[in-house]
Amino acid sequence: MIHRLMVPLVICCAHAAIAGSPARQPRWGEIGATVSPVPVVSGFSRTSQVQSAEPLGSIRGRVEIRRSVPVVEPRPSVGDFGMPAPHDQPDRFRTVVYLESAPAGAFEGRSGLPGGRGRMTQRNETFVPRLLAVRVGATVDFPNEDHTYHNVFSLSKTQRFDLGRYAAGQSKPVRFDRPGIVRVFCDIHSHMSAFILVFSHRFFDTTDTDGRYQIPAVPPGKYNVMAWNDGAVRDSRTVTVSEQGGPVELDFVLR
Amino acid sequence: MTSFAACLVNGVASDFMRTWCGLVATVLVLAAVPTVAGAQTLPSEPVSLMSGRVTIGAEASASISSNDDPGWFNYTDYEHNALRLLRLGATADVRLGSRVSVLGELRTENWEALRPYALYIRVRPWANRAFDIQAGRIPPSFGAFARRNYSGSDNPLIGYPLGYQYLTSLRSDAVPATADDLLRMRARGWRPSFPIGSTGVAPGSPLVTAFRWDTGVQVHWESEPLEVTGSVTTGTLSEPHVHDNNGGKQVAARVAWRPIVGLVLGVSGAHGPYIADDVTRILPPDVPRADFSQQAFGFDAEYSRGYWLVRSEAIVSRWRLPAVRAPFINDPVRAWSASGEGRYKIRPGVFAAGRYDYLGFSDLRGTAGTRSWDAPVHRMEVGGGYYLLRNLIGKISYQQNWRDGGLVREHRIWSGQLNFWF
Repeated sequence: MIHRLMVPLVICCAHAAIAGSPARQPRWGEIGATVSPVPVVSGFSRTSQVQSAEPLGSIRGRVEIRRSVPVVEPRPSVGDFGMPAPHDQPDRFRTVVYLESAPAGAFEGRSGLPGGRGRMTQRNETFVPRLLAVRVGATVDFPNEDHTYHNVFSLSKTQRFDLGRYAAGQSKPVRFDRPGIVRVFCDIHSHMSAFILVFSHRFFDTTDTDGRYQIPAVPPGKYNVMAWNDGAVRDSRTVTVSEQGGPVELDFVLR
Repeated sequence: MTSFAACLVNGVASDFMRTWCGLVATVLVLAAVPTVAGAQTLPSEPVSLMSGRVTIGAEASASISSNDDPGWFNYTDYEHNALRLLRLGATADVRLGSRVSVLGELRTENWEALRPYALYIRVRPWANRAFDIQAGRIPPSFGAFARRNYSGSDNPLIGYPLGYQYLTSLRSDAVPATADDLLRMRARGWRPSFPIGSTGVAPGSPLVTAFRWDTGVQVHWESEPLEVTGSVTTGTLSEPHVHDNNGGKQVAARVAWRPIVGLVLGVSGAHGPYIADDVTRILPPDVPRADFSQQAFGFDAEYSRGYWLVRSEAIVSRWRLPAVRAPFINDPVRAWSASGEGRYKIRPGVFAAGRYDYLGFSDLRGTAGTRSWDAPVHRMEVGGGYYLLRNLIGKISYQQNWRDGGLVREHRIWSGQLNFWF
């Protein structure tokens, strides 16, 4: 299931690298950067969008989760002397909606932007948010807000890291330089896990608490739009952004 | 698969083959378990049923070693070598309400019959107080190592600390009549025999066993930074029992203090009748009926920070034995163990670890002179681990043992282990 996303992410990365020759890539600060009309994604601040000469559209809609979401419990530990400390349930309803493929030129000039900064907090023995989407080059902070140690690590091929044990009030950063899926765990609390999706382009969004998303500034063309939830692509649709631009409504129902 | 199946069915496989056949078979079975996503992959999270009221986990570990252990340094009884062991286990936590749970762990080692390693009920009388009562086959209150999960990196090496595994020559169902009887069994803890009580050969007892848990009632109270635990059980640290064999109860307690995050300091104590009634009943009438008990004190410490984890544990235990004939065993025999271990994460998914152990014994005067009643042992183990998956670890270790007695006084051994859990 992971490969299904890995492939398009890598394709996007390769596409952007091919399409954006050094001469055509805008340098940060030379292009007019505007604040995104998209609400700030939980845990991640989208800092900029690129203006384009051609009319741009947007893809927006709502993702509804109808499948049963299992409760996350710690592995039974018979060696404990008492009831385990209470922990929060991770938010498994967030979905990342992204463009899988695009016609040539769709990503031109958009591969050299800085990735920005994200945040994934350890709180009540849960990663908040459980699902985070960032761009290549982004740095994600992992603050510990619990009173106990946590040890954030990942063995994903996209990014292997181990932040070691650190206490409440401390935070450690990780920079993500390759597109793909990063599965994040805590070495001390087996029930803590999260996902970070690293994109080589900016055409993605994470749903808000109502399940709404919006991918802005999409060039005209025909796209495969993927809905990724809780470890796998759950649905994909094809949409067309017209030459005149404007919004395209696209809802998902994930079972 | 055919050869694996054949070796399992025919029962003629060596320890080596049996261990690895078991692990491969286990992994294949687990791989066939569909996950929530419907993919055929190893499960990575415990199975949660009935909205989280039932949680089931499992563990499979297979250990192999480069050669046999003629000095019986790593045996946990006459049959089981800790470095050549296939262990399969399943744990469950069934919540009967917000304040009542039933927990259990079933284990099989080397394909033997399943046995309950733990099975107890946990009650929290007051919802807003960290006070719990546990009854049944409960985790030991004493010390730290015996409660650790074997899976994962909780035990960074493959071997066990001497104090929790090495078999001394003492038995609860048979006792020496003289000091010479006990001295004759030096370094023979794997199969000692004594003239009083059960006359057959049987394995001796460790200071504290990490392989069986005792049966009784336990209370636990916690208020940062203190944690207090006490229990009353049927057996002792060396000889846990489901059914009482001497009518006496062991009382054990531990106090842990966490002055800062990452540091745990614990002190433990235990006292309980050790010798079985079957033995005391047949003692000559002129033998003083003392308190034939095991008494132990322990200290444990753990500190972790960054990529380091350091632990240390010390245990002092003494057993009072009957003074039957000259040369008499007048004073309690004592043993002490000390161990220190460390783990360092070299890079993501890779760690190195080491442990040093010492096990010493008090002196005893016999006909031929004064010697320690059992042979002192040193152990050094170094190794490392690699995470193949988040919940699948491969470990390798090198262990060297030295003993001041017995036919085999030094032994070097390489071992490897695969450990999977969810």
